[in-house]
Amino acid sequence: MPARSRPTSSRPRAENRSRRWAGPCIAGARILTLPARRPLWVCRAGFIGREGVLTVTQAVRARLIGGLIPSLAIVTALLIGGVIIWASGPRLDGPWFGIWFVVEAYQALIEGAFGSRASTIDTVLRTVPYVFTGLAVMVGFRGGMFNIGAEGQLAVGALASAWVGFTVTSLPLVIQLPLVLLTGCLAGAIWGGIAGLLKARTGAHEVITTIMLNYVGGQLAAYLLNGVLRDRSPLNVIAQTPKVAETARLPDLVPGLHSGVILVIGVAVLVWFVLWKTTTGFELRMVGINPDAAAYAGVNVVRRMTWAMGASGMLAGLAGAVQVAGVNYRSTLGFNVGYGFDSIAIALLGRNTVSGVVLSSILFAALRTGATKLQFRTQISTDIISVIQALVLLMIAADQIIRWIYRIGPAQTEADPVAASTAPVADSESGR
Amino acid sequence: MTRGRFAFIIGCIGLLIGGAEVLRSPDVSASIVAASMLATMLRFATPLTLGALAGLLCERSGVANIAIEGMMLSAAFGAFIGAAVTKSLLIGVLAGMAIGVAMATLHAWLSVSLRVDQIVSGTVINIMAAGITGFLSTEVVRRQALVGAGLLPALRIPVLADLPVVGPVFQQQPIAWVALVLVPLTHLVIFHTPWGLRLRSVGELPRAAHAAGINVIRTRYTAVMIGGAIAGIGGAYFTLESVPAFEPLMTNGRGFIALAALIFGGWTPAGAWAASLLFGAANALHINAQQFGIPVPAQIVGMFPYLLTIVILAGVIGRVSPPSAVGTPYEAD
Amino acid sequence: MRTRRNLVFGLAALPILAACGGEAAPAAPAAKAEPSKAPAAPAAPAAAAAATKAPEPTAAAKALKVGLVTDVGKVDDKSFNESAWNGAKAGAAAIKGESKYVETRDPNDYKKNIQQFVSEKYDVIVTVGFLLGDATIEAAKANPTIKFIGVDQFQEKPVENLAGLIFEEDKAGFMVGVLSALVSKSGKVGAVLATDVVPPVWRFGEGFRAGVKFAKADADIQIVYHSDVGPEKTFDDPEWGKATALSMADKGVDVIFGAGGKTGNGVLYGVAERKDKGVLAIGVDTDQYLTVPEAKAVLLSSGMKIIDQGVSDLIKAVSDGKFKGGNVNGKVGLAPFHDLDSKVSAEIKTKLETIRKDLDAGTLKTNVKPAKG
Repeated sequence: MPARSRPTSSRPRAENRSRRWAGPCIAGARILTLPARRPLWVCRAGFIGREGVLTVTQAVRARLIGGLIPSLAIVTALLIGGVIIWASGPRLDGPWFGIWFVVEAYQALIEGAFGSRASTIDTVLRTVPYVFTGLAVMVGFRGGMFNIGAEGQLAVGALASAWVGFTVTSLPLVIQLPLVLLTGCLAGAIWGGIAGLLKARTGAHEVITTIMLNYVGGQLAAYLLNGVLRDRSPLNVIAQTPKVAETARLPDLVPGLHSGVILVIGVAVLVWFVLWKTTTGFELRMVGINPDAAAYAGVNVVRRMTWAMGASGMLAGLAGAVQVAGVNYRSTLGFNVGYGFDSIAIALLGRNTVSGVVLSSILFAALRTGATKLQFRTQISTDIISVIQALVLLMIAADQIIRWIYRIGPAQTEADPVAASTAPVADSESGR
Repeated sequence: MTRGRFAFIIGCIGLLIGGAEVLRSPDVSASIVAASMLATMLRFATPLTLGALAGLLCERSGVANIAIEGMMLSAAFGAFIGAAVTKSLLIGVLAGMAIGVAMATLHAWLSVSLRVDQIVSGTVINIMAAGITGFLSTEVVRRQALVGAGLLPALRIPVLADLPVVGPVFQQQPIAWVALVLVPLTHLVIFHTPWGLRLRSVGELPRAAHAAGINVIRTRYTAVMIGGAIAGIGGAYFTLESVPAFEPLMTNGRGFIALAALIFGGWTPAGAWAASLLFGAANALHINAQQFGIPVPAQIVGMFPYLLTIVILAGVIGRVSPPSAVGTPYEAD
Repeated sequence: MRTRRNLVFGLAALPILAACGGEAAPAAPAAKAEPSKAPAAPAAPAAAAAATKAPEPTAAAKALKVGLVTDVGKVDDKSFNESAWNGAKAGAAAIKGESKYVETRDPNDYKKNIQQFVSEKYDVIVTVGFLLGDATIEAAKANPTIKFIGVDQFQEKPVENLAGLIFEEDKAGFMVGVLSALVSKSGKVGAVLATDVVPPVWRFGEGFRAGVKFAKADADIQIVYHSDVGPEKTFDDPEWGKATALSMADKGVDVIFGAGGKTGNGVLYGVAERKDKGVLAIGVDTDQYLTVPEAKAVLLSSGMKIIDQGVSDLIKAVSDGKFKGGNVNGKVGLAPFHDLDSKVSAEIKTKLETIRKDLDAGTLKTNVKPAKG
């Protein structure tokens, strides 16, 4: 949409509120409600975003809210999760009316995720695929494409890289390892690119096609893993490929932690660079914000859409390849399940910024890793983690809920909520 | 949905049943195989039909619904709990519908009122349904040692149910009957009533509808919630008609196959139903082939609904297009 | 105008509400708390966690701690996870130890979930399911002081502190097959199984085939495996199991053996629906007359592998110091006929007894390979 000025209606409300806000009040919230007294017109390109020209204060404010809302969403989700845990604990029989049970549970969750060297490594290992798939969904979002297909793309990426990993055995590591990873990328890119191409050529909605491709990918994996790609050694009885060659494995940084961690950092920086520092990235984001305007500006929208889905699929495929080369050393049936929806939650929670995706991935990985200890200590179902994740996602998607609970002013992009939830927002002008 | 496509789908179903006849072992009579194929097909098609109709109402009003899976799963759980607690199957079905409506209301509130992206809203519902039902099935069902209240009995139409080949059609459980009744009913409502016209106009051109005096928000809410009730019945199928127990994730992706059926059927009730039958027939053929000792790779059969949907979306066999306002939240001025 | 609350209050609200819930019934904690626990509770709030499990053993000094890791699934699956967990609980109770479980969500977590108990210094760790085999062996080798029990895990090379509790499912399947063939009136019998890639399930199916052929060479056998569509789905599809069973019943099959988690349970539900046609079902693993009451009226028997007793016996062996690594054969056999005892003639019973003896003695072989080739 063309640059437009901020809706004027929200400003007076914000000012009124700041006067009423007497009494106990945390510093952050106070800053947020400060009205812009002296507009400082800034010309930095980044500030001229969808909201038009922002003042410094407005930009700071937007940035703070941008960071605050996810944090508040997490806190609120954990509180609600706590009530659920409390309700399934000993309640009145326990000390502190059972609240201690909740404290115990969350303590176990944190300990389980970061309490020891081994558990921290576990969390990091789990973060890696989340970052890749989160970035995948984010790249899609930035290009205006909603990629629900990370799960399928990850599956085909893992299959393809495992295939190269165990069939090619005579190459040195410096050649084979990149080959394995690139094969995964390529397979994922093709799988995602199909959806992009269909969208561009026939208008078939990528949400539908990626859902369908998830299932096709899953079934294809099941077929191949039970058939031609299956490990035929007599000791193997399940649907998995043989182990990949030694030269196809990511070397360990420290024992138990593969060097994919370095790779993931590199890729995250690369994604940031491409999206925010290159013309391609600029065009992609433009298509994401407003395809019509982008077309008017001379961008080849069809190509960018396909590109966005291809890049998205490539990142998801890389996630699969890194799991093969770094963790499992093979592709096993069903290991991809759950990444599709988790990665959407991660991208949204990270507000479609690279740093946000990394932080959200750590959070999700920690929740999943800590869940084991949580169950060990409390013996309640680990599905509580899914409930908490769903609540986080709910409150991120509908940030009005958080704004209402904590009395934060209305979103600056209120007039365009679809974009507010899925597409770039004001606070992410630099995307880091 | 053109007549031609409908005929095409029915023809495909005929082919699949014919396939079963070809594969049958000689000691089983042809009419028994046909009857068995029909029965199995209808059984698999029931939740798909209901899920597709639920999605249809929703999408026809301009609200994308990828949350059929989540709605059916939570309704399956609600129906089970309702029936297990009250020992009444009818209350179970009503509880399932209530949960379906509740989830649908959440979807409507998020995507219509708060104007959250409809796909995101659907994702929220899917994740939440899986988490909450999984959690509660452990914490409530296990702790309270809840036992199901049995299954809905089959309703027979006296003479017809004894006919040789088509007998199974006239001997189905109540929810299957409901699905069969809802198909023409939904068709009538959507295409031949004023409300249906309003619904479609809201789904195609909400601004024009608004200008014509139609309350877009309310129409969408109503459609999504009715869809939720239908998804609720579909969910109840799993725990009150299929098996008398709730298992975590027991819908097993059937909500997404229902979505595929909805698209494959070109967003029409008859088409969605035909597509559900087709997917059901594919499953039935797979089961039958294995019984006759012919291994058909199940993955190929499993891929079939999704591949067909992609193919049809790609426009290879006749293009289908969704209601044009699907996915776009409506903003009142 | 809406009431305004500030941030701090918003944050504090939930715990306060929670606390209010407690204060509403101040008498309750005192009334409910057991005398032995009451004095300890305020001093050591950490005991809260203990409230979910059986009352703390007072002589906890040398009590063994038993941990159990499930396969993907839950401990209340009415099937093998549940059976193993019951065994672990019973075994722990018998030796006055304590027991805890961790449920696996994701096949990638096997190692980590086992490690959870290792790091908490548990004495006995039970891992349930064939698929945990590799992870269990690895953990056992790394932790020689901990005793491991691997249910359904055949040990190629014995590890001293790891007992693989295995079952000759083919024998149980064989008995089921013989019973089915002899009881069937139509001469058509069927088996619906969750998967053919998990060897214990496959052995049930192939044992069934062999048994039917042994008892009645000309019987029509229909065996359907739910193809491998992913470990999280193949055992968890009761609707498919039911549809398949009904499809068989429609073709005149009158005894149907259902095996494989919830998919197998679905078979029993399906047969229960054809009660009036005289179709009979045979369950698996435990005596499913007890675990699937809905199918009581049609459940002829169950091809049992008695996991719970096997597990609890092994736990007791640890306590007695008689634990040995390697493969331990658990008991298999047919469950009682319960309500349908009249369907099985004395002649059949005698025959089954003979076959059982021959199988045990090794004079009769099922000729089923350990796993699908």
